[in-house]
Amino acid sequence: MQFDHYMEEGEVAHVGDLRLWARIIRLGARHRARLGAAIILSLALTVGAMALPWLLQQAIDLYITNTSLPTAARLAGIGRSCLIYGVLVVAIFLVSFVQILLLEFIGQSIMHQMRQSLFERLIGFDLAFFHRHPSGRLVTRLTNDIQNMYEMFTSVMVTIFNDILRMFSILCFLLWINPRLGVWMLAFVPLALVVSVFFAKLSRAQFRMIRSQLASINSYLSEAITGIAMLRIFSRAAAASQEFHRMSREFYRRTLGQIKVFGLFMPMTELMSTVAIALILWFGGGEVIAKRLTLGELVAFISYMRLFFQPLRELSQNYSIVQSAMASAERIFQLLDEKNAMPIAQPPAPLPAPRGEVRFENIDFGYKADEPVIDNLNLTLPPGQVVALVGATGSGKTTLLNLLLRFYDPWRGRITIDGVDIRQVDPARLRRVVGVILQDSLVLQDSLLANIVMDTGASREQVEDVLRRTGMVNFVERLPRGLDTMLGEGGQELSSGEKQLLSFARTLCRDPRILALDEATAAIDTESENILEEAMAAAFAGRASLIIAHRLSTIKRADRIVVMAAGRIVEEGRHDELLALGGLYADMVAMDMKTKTGQTEAQ
Amino acid sequence: MVASADDCQEPRFVVDCQIVAPHVSRPIGHFFASILTLVFFVPASEPSGAVPISALLSLLRPFFRRHRSRLILGFAALVAVDILQLITPRIIKYGIDALTTGTSQDYLTSLAWLLLALAIFSAALRFCWRYMIVGFSRILEHGIRCRIFEHLLKMDAPFFERRTTGDLMAHCTNDLAAIQLACGIGLVSATDAVVLSGVAICFMLYIHPQLTLVALTPMPFLIIGTKYLSGKLHRRFTSVQEIFSEMTEFSRAAIVSIRLLKAHTMETTHSLRFEALGRKYVRGNLKVATIHGLMFPLATMVGSLGMLLILWYGGRLALENVITLGDFVAFITYLYLLIWPMMAIGWVASLVQRGLTSLGRIHSLLTVRPFLPELADDGLTPPGREIVLRHLDFSYPEAKAAALNDISLTFYPGLYGIIGRTGSGKSTLLKLLVRLYPVADGALLFDGRDANSLPTAAIQRAIAYVGQEAVLFSNSIAANIALGKETASREEIIAVAKAAAVHDDILSLAEGYETRIGERGARLSGGQKQRVALARALLCDRPILIIDDGLSAVDVDTEERILLALADHFRDRIVLLVSNRLKTLAAAREIIVLDQGRIVARGDHRTMMRQSHLYQAMVAKQLPDKRAEHAI
Repeated sequence: MQFDHYMEEGEVAHVGDLRLWARIIRLGARHRARLGAAIILSLALTVGAMALPWLLQQAIDLYITNTSLPTAARLAGIGRSCLIYGVLVVAIFLVSFVQILLLEFIGQSIMHQMRQSLFERLIGFDLAFFHRHPSGRLVTRLTNDIQNMYEMFTSVMVTIFNDILRMFSILCFLLWINPRLGVWMLAFVPLALVVSVFFAKLSRAQFRMIRSQLASINSYLSEAITGIAMLRIFSRAAAASQEFHRMSREFYRRTLGQIKVFGLFMPMTELMSTVAIALILWFGGGEVIAKRLTLGELVAFISYMRLFFQPLRELSQNYSIVQSAMASAERIFQLLDEKNAMPIAQPPAPLPAPRGEVRFENIDFGYKADEPVIDNLNLTLPPGQVVALVGATGSGKTTLLNLLLRFYDPWRGRITIDGVDIRQVDPARLRRVVGVILQDSLVLQDSLLANIVMDTGASREQVEDVLRRTGMVNFVERLPRGLDTMLGEGGQELSSGEKQLLSFARTLCRDPRILALDEATAAIDTESENILEEAMAAAFAGRASLIIAHRLSTIKRADRIVVMAAGRIVEEGRHDELLALGGLYADMVAMDMKTKTGQTEAQ
Repeated sequence: MVASADDCQEPRFVVDCQIVAPHVSRPIGHFFASILTLVFFVPASEPSGAVPISALLSLLRPFFRRHRSRLILGFAALVAVDILQLITPRIIKYGIDALTTGTSQDYLTSLAWLLLALAIFSAALRFCWRYMIVGFSRILEHGIRCRIFEHLLKMDAPFFERRTTGDLMAHCTNDLAAIQLACGIGLVSATDAVVLSGVAICFMLYIHPQLTLVALTPMPFLIIGTKYLSGKLHRRFTSVQEIFSEMTEFSRAAIVSIRLLKAHTMETTHSLRFEALGRKYVRGNLKVATIHGLMFPLATMVGSLGMLLILWYGGRLALENVITLGDFVAFITYLYLLIWPMMAIGWVASLVQRGLTSLGRIHSLLTVRPFLPELADDGLTPPGREIVLRHLDFSYPEAKAAALNDISLTFYPGLYGIIGRTGSGKSTLLKLLVRLYPVADGALLFDGRDANSLPTAAIQRAIAYVGQEAVLFSNSIAANIALGKETASREEIIAVAKAAAVHDDILSLAEGYETRIGERGARLSGGQKQRVALARALLCDRPILIIDDGLSAVDVDTEERILLALADHFRDRIVLLVSNRLKTLAAAREIIVLDQGRIVARGDHRTMMRQSHLYQAMVAKQLPDKRAEHAI
């Protein structure tokens, strides 16, 4: 299924953009040899295709109408012609097959290579990049835009080259047979080009209108299907049906517009072709009468004219493909050219065996230029200490975590681990040292074991060992096939509590020196919660830990509680100390620890 | 040629058929379809169920009947074009024959004018059939699409449980497209093929029967080859599309969850997985290309082989003056004309087969009846003073274990709390009340009347419902709130938004109440969505309010504030509230504890604190402090 959920985007590139062409052609450089072979094969095909009518003409002129030869010689001649003809036909078949496969291979390889580098580049970007670009657009780049370019590489690059060559050589050949008749045929070239390009533009506009309406219908439909119970309960079925009818009707109206455009232009090539034949008959016939042209040549003329109009048929379609491919290429290149805002130090500091002392020094930060979220914050996490961050939504707790993981760089100040600025460390290394447990986890469509191990190379025994020590083994045992349970689409669906457990298991297997935990805000099932609590107790011992805490039980376990408000630390201390202080924390506890939850600071 | 060889190229994407193919769409009557069916697919390889083809076609018959004159006109034009097309080679033949025997320029001039006139006339006819017949296939598509949608709106929850959204979407996209193609291109190409090949073969037979037979020998191979290959092509192509969707979904998930991905340094793992998918996609495409690489060169080859036979045998005949040179050339032209119809027959066979399979799927979709009674809404005042459940049992269609066991309850106006672990049957109970699933006769009564004797719509008009997952539509926030009461004024909408504590959130959005939400609009947090859904339910002002854990993503504080403020609203209503947070239920008239589909405890907070150990344990777990417990 292919649902186009994404908006049609405006097109910036135009077909004459040479700079863009140069870049597109460079993509194919790696396949130079294969591309060359494909072009040679396609030349061979053109020659072969043109040789067939010529053979026919030769047979007619030399043997069939040539009464001066003895009948036996004429028959033998026909036999010879047939043999050559037959060999050529089979050869053309084989060469076509090889050429089509070769082209597909080249196109697919280029696209695969491009898609892969685009994907790697995309996931390497900093998070700020993803705020700037809507996810739907990025997905479109990776899928549909690449697909558009593929069409160009396979069907157009060689086809157009081949078609132009073919038309050119047919014209030359016709001019050579009979210059006067050939000149007449020449007149069709500009006419056909104008008609094709005009048609391409018109039909493309129609096509986009149709496609965007189909996308609307499909997204309306999928939404309605998911919400059909709601539509019924809220007595909206009739209204929804009317709306759908209206949308479908509009789609019909648009397809009708397309039918008219096609109806007008599709017969054009056919019309031109017949006009050409009429011309050949009228003018060429005159030439035959005047003995300036043989009958065989006239027949050949008619056959070649057919070959001549064949590529014209596809010209307008190819023009559309090129146009949309150029637009896609432009968009992809724009993305590839975008700078990663977060520089990676060269060479990165190694951070070999960190003790795990984290310091936030004079941090200022905000997601938008004029909205500071963290305001001159200083905080130290000594090794082996558990620090609980508490505070209302928007106080900056999650932001602190984002900074520690270097999803963003602070505006001012620095974060250090054992005195090393985290900007000096390779982000991947940093995220191994700082293990984080988020509320959700990205589930791979694979076994639980693979989901936990990922690229760490840990063995099954190691994983089981870690899980046993932290009591997480209970989580695994709850699943139908233990570590071999398949997760993801078509496999076991995880509840939100289980996703957090998975996140925990992943992190534990990497044995990070520093642990950061974003505690679940929404209510999770009691069993998950029990396992989580036990695992936390086991895992946090001996590690510097930072918890964004929502549950009093978690908070009580912390060695130190840091209360945040409006991007600052307002109180700091142990549970009873803070209670005695009678400040914000005491208020919060008095309100039964009704920690603000609801929306996490999703940023 | 009416339909050129490139018409039968398999479109790369379903949506693309509209551009690649529509210039060929056109249908004949179901009569034609039946004939084709009988000719080509006696043993249907894909089961369209046990449904006879006549039943399937009955879905299409009304459309054919209603647009009879349109179709007749279209097909007349189509046949006329085909005939004109066959006349052209005759004129060329006359020209060439005249040239061999010696002729005047005037004769040639008049032939040329004749050709020109015919060309213009046939261009006009081509427009006519396209507009009539392709237009018809679009009308048909529109009609069936709307029918499917209306049918879906009548279906109940068990129906949707057995089918994924993806499957249903596929009916409305792929299956519909297949039918449109079959009724469009399929039937037109079939007409073309029959008329063109029939007449061309007649002409050839007229010239020389034996030569005709010789020239046509390779053609059956083309038909068989094309049918075999296009069926295979379709399957391989579908699997490529599936991989493409998989790739799209993979990258979408990665991009949406980029923070999680980075936090767990999954970059390498993900790149490798994406690469594997990419390779699979390349392999799939190469398989498709193998078929493409055979199909079109095959047509060329078969055509050329026919030509070879004409040259070999016809050349002899011309040489012996059995046929004229003009006949010889005309023969070649007819053979060219035959290549497309021969390919078309094979291709149409596979197209119609697919169309019938799709029609079968849509037919079986449209013949499913809901389990709930289909009574017309009587428009009477909806019930809402009392709900009685009597020994209600329920299990989900495919499930082995019962979801609800022997539930007997009575609800009067007032607040009821329902609690229990995940899977204990809370949501199921509420879904039965809103009539998403069928119940046995006598098990559920509204105001003393059996639910099965009341129109579903009437019961639903009595209930405002807030589900576990807030279902919002891509529309403005105001429209989402006013879902159940389209006529609501802005003031009313604001009032309920305030009551649901979402007014301030809405005002903070760029366009306030007019902000569009959903795929292409603003994104709301889970808690905001739930509050919008609550506001929507409040606006309806119905005698029964059901909140199925509908505030789980809203913080405790706000939830409590909302419910407290709604005390007035709740007074005369039956309010059923499922929540994991016991505190919010303390004020309930009765709390019902479910476990494994049974009621294990019930009573108000005080009674339960005294009597139910289970309840006590749950409370102890949730309240952080012993102090708090006494505070209630």
